[in-house]
Amino acid sequence: MNFFETIFKYIGDTYTDRLSYFPTNIRVSLLIILFCIVAMVELYIYILFKRASKNREEKQIKYWKEHIDNMLANVVIYDESDDTDEIIAHFYPKIKKMPLRNPIVNNILTTEILTYHKNFTGKVPEVLAVLFHKLDLDKKSRKKINNKNWETKIEGIREANEMEITDMAEEIVKYTDDENGLLRMEAQAAYIKLSPSNPFHFLDRAQERILDWHQVVLFEIITKNKKLAIPSFSKWLRSPNDTVVMLCLKLIDHFMQFDAAEEVQRLLKHHNPKIVKKSINIIGKLELEDAEKHMFGVYFDHPDEIKLEILNSIGKISSGNYAEFLSSRIYSADTKIKMEAMYAIKNDPDDGENKLKEIFKQTTAENRTLIKHVLDNRIKP
Amino acid sequence: MKEFLATFEILFNNAIFYYAMVVMASYVMLTLLSAIEMNGYMKKNSYLNYREILVSPLAPSVSVLAPAYNEEATIIDNIRSLLSLHYGNYEVIIINDGSTDSTFRRMFDYYQLEKVDFAVDYQIGCNDVRGVYKSKLPSFSKLTVVDKLNGGKSDALNAGINVAAKDLLLCIDVDCIVQEDAILKLAKPYLEEKYQVIATGGVVRIANSCKVEDGKLVEVNMPKNLWPRFQVLEYIRAFLMGRMAWSRLNGLLIISGAMGLFDKSVVIKVGGYDHNTVGEDMELVVRMRRYMYEQDRRFKVVYIPDPLCWTEAPADLSILGRQRNRWTRGNLETLWAHKDLFFNPRYGILGMLSYPYWLFFEWLAPIMEFLGLSVFIILVIMGNVNLEFSLILMSMVYFFSVTLSTVAILFEEMSYQQYTKGTDLIKLLLAAFLEPILYHPLTIFWAVQGNIQKLLGKNSWGAMTRKGFKENKIPIKTEQTTTT
Repeated sequence: MNFFETIFKYIGDTYTDRLSYFPTNIRVSLLIILFCIVAMVELYIYILFKRASKNREEKQIKYWKEHIDNMLANVVIYDESDDTDEIIAHFYPKIKKMPLRNPIVNNILTTEILTYHKNFTGKVPEVLAVLFHKLDLDKKSRKKINNKNWETKIEGIREANEMEITDMAEEIVKYTDDENGLLRMEAQAAYIKLSPSNPFHFLDRAQERILDWHQVVLFEIITKNKKLAIPSFSKWLRSPNDTVVMLCLKLIDHFMQFDAAEEVQRLLKHHNPKIVKKSINIIGKLELEDAEKHMFGVYFDHPDEIKLEILNSIGKISSGNYAEFLSSRIYSADTKIKMEAMYAIKNDPDDGENKLKEIFKQTTAENRTLIKHVLDNRIKP
Repeated sequence: MKEFLATFEILFNNAIFYYAMVVMASYVMLTLLSAIEMNGYMKKNSYLNYREILVSPLAPSVSVLAPAYNEEATIIDNIRSLLSLHYGNYEVIIINDGSTDSTFRRMFDYYQLEKVDFAVDYQIGCNDVRGVYKSKLPSFSKLTVVDKLNGGKSDALNAGINVAAKDLLLCIDVDCIVQEDAILKLAKPYLEEKYQVIATGGVVRIANSCKVEDGKLVEVNMPKNLWPRFQVLEYIRAFLMGRMAWSRLNGLLIISGAMGLFDKSVVIKVGGYDHNTVGEDMELVVRMRRYMYEQDRRFKVVYIPDPLCWTEAPADLSILGRQRNRWTRGNLETLWAHKDLFFNPRYGILGMLSYPYWLFFEWLAPIMEFLGLSVFIILVIMGNVNLEFSLILMSMVYFFSVTLSTVAILFEEMSYQQYTKGTDLIKLLLAAFLEPILYHPLTIFWAVQGNIQKLLGKNSWGAMTRKGFKENKIPIKTEQTTTT
């Protein structure tokens, strides 16, 4: 018997005849060893198989992407005067010849049509919209929107959004308050684009939170869409959903909606400190002089973070009504408050810097260091 | 005597067996949790467009803090790389921690720095700042250089925190290669979690043998040297399995010293980095967590599986040993400083799960392994050991360890697949077989050595050098992994 035969015989005996005679811990150990070896072999096969299939798939994707890209690139050469039906009649049979039942080909075709539709203006998106419809890809998108799986729903919503299929807005609106955050965000983003008559209807019914991330996305969509009719966002400032209020405040800030002034001032008494802080910030940006007394009235009731924002806003308004208050704040025990008060004094367009220089002559050594910092324009506040 | 030895052997075998069982069960649990977390993350993030944060004025503002000590060889490229990160609202603060070479002079000349009248608000303790500098060139307006007296990494970071003007702090090692979209990805959890996020970390990878151009990684390769290759495997296991699982449980105790994004307000509230430990990265996270519990505030510490930072791993055994020795001392110091957390229900998952796990399985495991091996050798010498049973027990641990590494490689393949070459994959799979025999015993030795040195009162970082991506000798400040 050679070495390997001896080993195999030993292993065989260990797992058969001798197994029952071992103590429990050794038996368990032997079973774990066996399990690990089987698991390892399976994992190796799976990893190698996965690698091979991924490589194959990548090759296929590369081939079809190139092919479809070349075809769609030809659509770009047509101009406004060309007849859409003629263009479609030229391309449709060629596309139909492709193995559209192959999910890879179908996905690439859909993605490429969406990309071209998004990146071109004029005739191209019009032709692609007709092509999308003629290839029944819109029906697939609708099917996806009604799928059980949230990922598929998102795909469908994105397709409808990119291809601007407005008649899907009613199907999408139900997801704008879905408990799945990603689906909710995607639906809200699409709804704004697909419902030109009432794009912000979802804000009326929003009970779920619009997370900060969703606010970033919605903010980008709303502020970059030139076609969108922008309403007065103050009407949602009484929403029971704090995240709706926050989003609207950010939009009021961006669009400088002065008509919201009264509602924004009301929010100084809001229960949510983030909303109070943002309201104060807007008051400063809109330079609402009337609101200064309200901010001053609540100054001492708030934590430092809000106090800093109030000082900043008073500085932006620069009415001069609270100059003494600002000067008194530079003797606060908190360095940040001191510095913010100094910046507020400096903000006075008339002679802010001179005022600070005057204070510099009479104040403490610590304050002098801070004033130097504030007056140094190379340092951004 | 013979009877006593026989009884001792049985007890010893059982003790090792049951301890191994508990450790292995915990690893299996962590693997499952990590798989769930990874799957969720990958699914969710395939639908996201990070460009929106990049351009948005609503994105959180970030101060990048990078301490530099004697980095003259690479500092210019490092800063250039940090200034070209893909993010809108951020500043870069380089803290020259009293370098004795020409690090500061090089920065001063290249970036045309000038001293500004910056009033440093010493909210947290650090050595004196000699000056704060800004560039005269508008194209480098994001850059601030802080020149201070030498005080070590923690002290330099604290100085940077005192100067930082933004809401979040990205604390990094200046010589790491940071992925361009790192801030985007690390900042996102701050915008999407229901609870306040106090820290986020991403995966740190090994850059040995990788191709680096202008401070950017252009080609990923498996390290040619065997020791860094083992560390590749170790890092994949620690980050993709261990930390993702703890992130799922919201029980993470460590965010990489090489790269972590922190909520500045909480960092300041807890007093910044601790100067008195060599494991400052872990200690800070533990202190931030316990502060949040004490304030009764709901919070999260998040880990993301994206490879965001590449670092050069020690290829020399003596340097590697010093690094691991320091990690062990750092762990021990943190565990000792926060010993009141142990099974303390007031601190939720931190006290009831994370801390005990760290104590029993991260700190104690190498000591148990060392003791087990030592007793085994003594019993063999005395002839009082059942060799067959002992070998079966060891084989069980060996095969479990290889299987765990193979699962980690599977995670890597299913997620970011950084090693695209077939040969690299095979090298990694082979490393999984060799690691428990060649590399793991060394890590046990260094861990035990670290414990002994800590007991003897050693507190230094230990001098370390590495080759650098351009064959330059630069200091090493690498990442701490767990043994998972």
